[in-house]
Amino acid sequence: MTIVSTWRWPTPSGRLPLPLVGSVLALLLTLWLTAPIVEVDFVRLFASGGKMLAFAGQMFVTPDWAYVPQLLAKMLETMEMTVLATAIAVVISIPLGVLAARNATPHVVVYRLSRDLLSLMRALPELVWALVFVSAVGLGPLPGVMALAFVTVGFMGKFFAESIEVVDHKAVEGVRAHGAGWLQVRLFAMLPQALPDFVGTVMYILDHNLRAAAILGLVGAGGIGYDLVMSMRLFQYERLLLIALAIYLVVTALDRASDSFRRRILNGRKQ
Amino acid sequence: MSDISIQAVTKRFPNGFEALKGIHVAIKPGSFTIILGPSGAGKSTLLRLMNGLETPTSGSVRIGGEVVNGRQLRRIRSKVAMVFQQFNLIDRLSVVTNVLTGRLAHRSWVGSVFYLFRNEDMGIAQEALSRVALTDKAWNRADKLSGGQQQRVGIARALAQRPKIILADEPVASLDPVSSEEIMTLLRDICDRDGITVVVNLHQVELARRFADRIIGMNSGKIVFDGSPEQMTQTALHTIYQREGIENDNSLDMALAYA
Amino acid sequence: MTLNKSNLVASLSKTLPPKPRSPVPVWLALTLALLWMIVYDLELSFETLAYGLADMGEYFSRYGKPDFTDLSRYVHLMGITLATALWGTVFALVVAFFLAPLASRNFTPNMVVYRIARELLNFMRAMPDLLLALIFVTALGLGPLPGALALGVHTAGFLGKFFAESLERVDKGVCEGVASTGANFAQMVMYAGWPSILREALGNVLYILDRNVRMASVLGLVGAGGIGLALHDTLRLFEYGQSAALILVILATILLIDYASAWLRKRLD
Repeated sequence: MTIVSTWRWPTPSGRLPLPLVGSVLALLLTLWLTAPIVEVDFVRLFASGGKMLAFAGQMFVTPDWAYVPQLLAKMLETMEMTVLATAIAVVISIPLGVLAARNATPHVVVYRLSRDLLSLMRALPELVWALVFVSAVGLGPLPGVMALAFVTVGFMGKFFAESIEVVDHKAVEGVRAHGAGWLQVRLFAMLPQALPDFVGTVMYILDHNLRAAAILGLVGAGGIGYDLVMSMRLFQYERLLLIALAIYLVVTALDRASDSFRRRILNGRKQ
Repeated sequence: MSDISIQAVTKRFPNGFEALKGIHVAIKPGSFTIILGPSGAGKSTLLRLMNGLETPTSGSVRIGGEVVNGRQLRRIRSKVAMVFQQFNLIDRLSVVTNVLTGRLAHRSWVGSVFYLFRNEDMGIAQEALSRVALTDKAWNRADKLSGGQQQRVGIARALAQRPKIILADEPVASLDPVSSEEIMTLLRDICDRDGITVVVNLHQVELARRFADRIIGMNSGKIVFDGSPEQMTQTALHTIYQREGIENDNSLDMALAYA
Repeated sequence: MTLNKSNLVASLSKTLPPKPRSPVPVWLALTLALLWMIVYDLELSFETLAYGLADMGEYFSRYGKPDFTDLSRYVHLMGITLATALWGTVFALVVAFFLAPLASRNFTPNMVVYRIARELLNFMRAMPDLLLALIFVTALGLGPLPGALALGVHTAGFLGKFFAESLERVDKGVCEGVASTGANFAQMVMYAGWPSILREALGNVLYILDRNVRMASVLGLVGAGGIGLALHDTLRLFEYGQSAALILVILATILLIDYASAWLRKRLD
């Protein structure tokens, strides 16, 4: 004789917990309500699949080899913008991070102001600032570097501050007990402990900034972005293919490099 | 299907460390066996061979005549439960859900992926929990329990599998003496009442003496003693625990092998 | 050398070995040299910067009087942007949910699948969302949908990588505990995988949502709908008042999302 067994969840009531069901339903409802706003149309999506394949097919044309020198120059510019902006941001972020860390700041008011400043600096995306800076100082890589550095300080300052806030306070007290001054305590007790996290953050930011820098050219702020958009608008697929490939290669290379660098640094310190 | 047969097994780790050197063991169904020995002797490796968490470099490991590997692995594992030194529970899930993981291999998996279980499975889980006297903690998060309680959940999970064999890898090494006593008594009771084959790794000699039917003493990857607790004399103990000159290197390699 | 009673006193009187040379000064010098070369190559002149900074004071004052006459339209556009970000994030979450376990060394059923999944995630991450948006606009026409798709595909790569890295850090013992019961791949993932990384995973999702709101605001620049296009237009026409208003709307929304996700994160602890 077969007994039909019923299913249940591993809760006292046998049903799913209400908060879980509630949030999932709320999310689904929001998605359903906003679908027309975003013009989500699965029919259209599947129909355009053919279009996208055709487009992809068009990309496989003979590359415009004559364009390569300019491509390389622009890619180099993009990478240079990334490195410079990140370096500038590091220099500014370290002192700002100290000020924005609850355990390192000289005064609570300074802490609040620093935190709010950093929050504002990272609120707007780089491209918006690039637009603004291009308006201010003209075209070229300068506004791009400025925009990148500005927003990067916002993120790095926050990450640095958080790394400083989680250092072992016993080590800090030890240094303080030996009569170290304000600056010395931060320089010799706090920053060295936060160093591994700093390095990880910088690696991650470099990665992010490279992708951001590749886009800034869209608004004339230097790098490969301008060529990228133009080649699309002018249907120059022979160039677009090369550009997309170049971006993909550089980004991937940096990715691998920073992964192995991170592993080396972190493993070195584990001992 | 509950006899364990290990023949001519050697196990060499990728870093060159030879954990087991030509082991022959046959464990009878329904018996309570304790494997005794110092750290690095190969006890863990031997036990983990029995449910496929390690594979032999040469030789064969059979459960009920079937070789432990490949396609039969999941099926064999459903009948061979393991209790771990670090309990290995899923911290953020409830005690009940942890015990229910013992039923995962027994049911069609579609439901379990959505955390859905049949009423019979819930019944089996409840049975297991009452066997280890933890029904009142059923809905608590697993990591909110004490060490001894967590180990009991581990045993309940093993019981929920309705296994033929229970393997316990240093089940009491992280516990205080009172809890250790409770756990060993529980394991012994399970063996006696349910007829489940139990194999336990220990390094505490006293517990081995009191609870085992059969003691297998290991040292440096070899079996150096195999008999009843009464037969384990001081001399025998010395053979099991003697430290050779290179003993220190062994522990280092052992640690590295599992790194 | 081993320490015993006979050489203890002798060891105390030995002097320290020579201090190893620190590599830091060399690296510092190299970095500074690199930075100098970059400044030279980019033809950045401190002159332009100095003049620019002097001008910027006057320039930013033009944004001093935000013009909110079109506010309702701006808010509507911001709403579209937010919805785009939401859809993109949900799409990314769904894709990452299925790909991440395959791209984790400890959960993946076999190494071939692992390699493919990892490469796929890397590829999705490497393409800048703007490029993807451009491609999708060509295929789907203008509007917010290509933007949502671009965000979804790009951040699926990020989310997938974050999830996979978290999964790889799951305690080996917990995985063995579930594996020893005879669980299959899907069960391992659902019981030993996701519950162990839930907190990190939710943090990642919130971070990606935050990031997508920012990106969605600029995708409008390539015709992918939302507020970015409006800002581009007003800046091009030197309408500083309206630009200021738009920037403030974007700013306010992003700060709101920041607070909301910080609150959510605290509640989930």
